[in-house]
Amino acid sequence: MPESRDDDDNDLLAGPVPAPDDEPSAAERAHAKAFAELVDKTLAGRTPPAMNTDDRALLEVATVIRAASGNVELAQPRRRVLIEDALRQAVGTRALGTSGTMNTMVTAIRGTNFRRWAPWSVAGASMLVAAAAVVLWLRAPHRASPAPIAAAPQLPENERMRPADALVGPIAREQAGDAASRIDAIFADRLDGYRELRFGRAP
Amino acid sequence: MKHVACLLVVAVAACNACNSPSPSEHAPPPRVTQTAEPSDAIDQKLMVALSQAKNLTHKARIYTSDGDAASAIAAVREILALHFPANSPEAEDVRNDARAMLARLLVGQGNLDEAMNVIAEGLAQSQRESFFVANLYTVKGEILEARATALDTDPANKAHVVELRHAAIEAYDESNKIDKKLQDQLTESR
Repeated sequence: MPESRDDDDNDLLAGPVPAPDDEPSAAERAHAKAFAELVDKTLAGRTPPAMNTDDRALLEVATVIRAASGNVELAQPRRRVLIEDALRQAVGTRALGTSGTMNTMVTAIRGTNFRRWAPWSVAGASMLVAAAAVVLWLRAPHRASPAPIAAAPQLPENERMRPADALVGPIAREQAGDAASRIDAIFADRLDGYRELRFGRAP
Repeated sequence: MKHVACLLVVAVAACNACNSPSPSEHAPPPRVTQTAEPSDAIDQKLMVALSQAKNLTHKARIYTSDGDAASAIAAVREILALHFPANSPEAEDVRNDARAMLARLLVGQGNLDEAMNVIAEGLAQSQRESFFVANLYTVKGEILEARATALDTDPANKAHVVELRHAAIEAYDESNKIDKKLQDQLTESR
């Protein structure tokens, strides 16, 4: 049991500081032994008893040094609680059951499986949709192409537009500027053809 | 699941697009009773254009006989602005004949440069050889002769005069060559 401030051991802190080479006194040895036991028990996980402020400060320093060394292992219940908290933050509270670690683990595995099959499901759905589109396209009734209009019948030459060379013939030099007579001839000839085409050929 | 839902929406839209009629299907179907019209048939548009050209050449002739060369030239220029059917060979023939008439009128006015431009324009726009193209070469020769005659008064222009007369001969030769070629073709076809 640690002593209170009223014990004799506390006089060590309140008394004069001994020289560095002085032999430790019996009181000092007893105080050191008691404090060592206190540290051991605290690091083992026991709740420390009430103690004076100086001892508590020393105990905290010892705890920090111990934790900083990296060899501290949390107790199993504490580890479980910490893992559950971390998983709850990662996957959300909705996915977590109330019964503890197994549900947490199962939920995490489910999430992993979903991520694994989601791309395959998308690819499969795409293939199904493509196949359905092809089937619909093949089954759609193809509209019959309209019947081609019959080729235009070949008209007699006098009913067609055509060069006027055959009608006019070579143009003599003295007639080079006489366009009026040639255009008259062209007009008369084409008018005959137009009348035949428009009003019917003579029997 | 979000991706799957989006995919399904897109697929449904694509199927609807496949089944919906194309814009061309909205057009009324062609009439079964529609008769074929030969594209080279003499039509009203050609007859109207030919009629206008005929009247304009007669107007020009009357103006010329009255000594009103300017009005005659204006009347012939109107022929060049007439609208013929796009595929009618008569259009090129009539225009070339009008150009030959116009160039002769311009030569009579002493406007040799403009007359030569009219001829050059007709030769450039012609798509085929014809008696009307040959006639353009004939008028071209006449223009070149007229130039040579105008320059022959000055002995300093002798070389240029000789050159113009040779060019006139070449134009007449070209005209004769086309005439002969077409005449042979016509003879063979008869």
